[in-house]
Amino acid sequence: MTTVSREKKRGWLKEEFGNPERRTAYYMVLPALLIILLIAFYPVINSMWLSVHQSTITQTGPFNGFENYAGIFTNTDFLGGLFNTVVFTVISVAFEFVIGLGIALAINRAFRGRGLVRAAVLVPWAFPTVISAAMWRLMFQDQVGVINTVANGVGIISEPILSDRTLLLIASILVDVWKTTPFMALLLLAGLQTIPADVYEAARVDGANVMQRFFQITMPLLKPTILVAVLFRTLDSYRVYDLFWVMSNRQLESLSTFVYKGVRISQLQFAQGNAAAVFIFITAFLLALFFIYGLGMQTSTEE
Amino acid sequence: MTERQERRPETLSGRRINRRDFLKIGGAGLAGAALLGVAGCGGGGGGGSSGGSGDIVFAMGPDTSGSLQKLIDKFNKENKGKYSVKYRKMPTDTGQFFDKIRTQFQSGGGDIDVIGGDVIWPAQFAANGWISDVSDKLSDSERSKFLDGPIASMTYQGKLYGIPWYTDAGMLYYRKDLLQKSGFNEAPKTWDELKSMAKKVVQDSGTKAGFVWQGSQYEGGVVDGLEYINSYGGKVLDPSDASKVVIDSPDSVKGLAMAASMIPDGVSPQAVTNYTEQESQTAFLNGEAVFCRNWPYMYALVGNPDESKIKTDQVSVAPLPAGSAGSVSGLGGWNFYINAASQKQDAAIAFAKFMADPEQQKYRALNGSFLPTLKSLYDDKEILDAVPVIALAGEALANTVPRPVSPAYSDMSLKMAEQFNKAFKGDVSPEDALKTLQTDLQQIADQAS
Repeated sequence: MTTVSREKKRGWLKEEFGNPERRTAYYMVLPALLIILLIAFYPVINSMWLSVHQSTITQTGPFNGFENYAGIFTNTDFLGGLFNTVVFTVISVAFEFVIGLGIALAINRAFRGRGLVRAAVLVPWAFPTVISAAMWRLMFQDQVGVINTVANGVGIISEPILSDRTLLLIASILVDVWKTTPFMALLLLAGLQTIPADVYEAARVDGANVMQRFFQITMPLLKPTILVAVLFRTLDSYRVYDLFWVMSNRQLESLSTFVYKGVRISQLQFAQGNAAAVFIFITAFLLALFFIYGLGMQTSTEE
Repeated sequence: MTERQERRPETLSGRRINRRDFLKIGGAGLAGAALLGVAGCGGGGGGGSSGGSGDIVFAMGPDTSGSLQKLIDKFNKENKGKYSVKYRKMPTDTGQFFDKIRTQFQSGGGDIDVIGGDVIWPAQFAANGWISDVSDKLSDSERSKFLDGPIASMTYQGKLYGIPWYTDAGMLYYRKDLLQKSGFNEAPKTWDELKSMAKKVVQDSGTKAGFVWQGSQYEGGVVDGLEYINSYGGKVLDPSDASKVVIDSPDSVKGLAMAASMIPDGVSPQAVTNYTEQESQTAFLNGEAVFCRNWPYMYALVGNPDESKIKTDQVSVAPLPAGSAGSVSGLGGWNFYINAASQKQDAAIAFAKFMADPEQQKYRALNGSFLPTLKSLYDDKEILDAVPVIALAGEALANTVPRPVSPAYSDMSLKMAEQFNKAFKGDVSPEDALKTLQTDLQQIADQAS
């Protein structure tokens, strides 16, 4: 067994490196690989290394196993951040998907001024997040904020929005939906345009109604695009930082703000901050794996 | 790298290498360059810029008054051939500035010799041995010329870690005109008085809010919270043993309860719990508040019609109201800290002392309204006439209390910001907030030592 596999291995090596053409190919990608190793893998591995040590900003202390991980799960700030992040991600992505799909279906039709509408829809997405966060903060504010004034006037909300964490979380979901629905719509629109028109025609000839066409044709054919779009948005919202940090003026905790506070502001929570960073990395990775294997997302166009 | 570039054409024409070899060399070269680039970034902080033995680098945020560069030029002229100071601009945001300096220290000191830094930094730097102990550079008689607050803020484990520069203190701005209309001729002396006055004036004048301050979850909220607590005699750390947290005391509860009563008693708007200096300033300058707790800087804005709907003669400044232990102002301000790794300690000290001299402090007071740290300047007629807020601030400055001097202040501040904010909002009772803080802060103090 072992000899066979060794021979097989040697054969593989020979095939890969014996051929000068292939060898050159490896030489060619080597610099890129080295750079990726240096700037992408090294920091990740280093974070993981630090997260299992009693490290501070200045020095790496003794190995302490999973103590930092146990620490973050008893840390109320981290748990609060986890809760906010999960609620934010699930709700905002759900809304973005439904509304984005609606928009995509609407602008997929041919109508006069379609190009203009498509461009206009993208405007909120074109804002840098910090800027839209600062802008919305002003609108939610109690002195000059239009939303706060209207909400108070109509009587929906009696307290200042920026002082209440639940309202802040709802507000940030709204802002995120406002901001990134266009992105979702754009991705879905691209998917819709790859569905050939003759499929619909055939369905219509067979007597399928609108609902049947949507659920039997559009959705199944759009599934690969939907998975990609939803995964993109999920991972993006899962890392939310700037929106929370700026709009709530640091009141609302997310996983990323916890990491930032731990490694940049605090002197003592450096190790926990690292553990939380690794936690985000691993959970995001698992999430992506779930999309690929659990939901059957295609990662390449080859069959 | 330039060498390689120069050589390349020669190799190409001279030896006639084939395309693949050329690409190989090019690729390797690029990889090498990238590696070098990365290494260069890492070491960039340490690259020396100062040449002569007396050339030092002074790091400080941008100075909009322009007075800083003028004084540096003056110092360089007076010490020509001996010392020379270069001003390196740091980020405006205090947190980012701190971060930058800390990163330099962590990577082995860097090339900054003198830092113009916030009053809350020294313990955090000193505990790591990053800044110089200057106890023997400032004699007792010299030290006694400075205000007590700034000196206390730089005293860590009995040693002095900086030279005072300029200071800041929380004070009470009030609408003189509105108070008079309601029959009050003086600023409130106690918190209770402030509350009853605010309610009456709001009723009489129809002003939107009584008292605005900084209740948001951030450093400013910590300062305000500590002012309430300290004015009732509550303390964060045991004065005789800084490793012991004593925040959970009946006095602290009284102070925090006073702060928490502001909203339910209708004195402060509910939104005050998300106010920073910016929002409280807007409310006050728009004429929407009777009282405002803020730093001295706001006084200059009152007189500026672009910023303010109210005029200087409508406003006056007083020390913050007193609790059962008197009036207490949170201490702000900036001092000089000297990089312990600097090879030019003498030059650094000379510069810091020069800047702290009465003449230079007076210049900055007149050109930029920076509050001096020297007691004598509060009797200087020229300053008092030209910068009224300094005259008004004198009393508040006498009652300043620094924030806890601890190597883990950043961590303590994060916890206090959170619990104070919750108590201001009424989400937790003052008792519970302080109990939580007692445990959390003690844990931080234990970890830090």
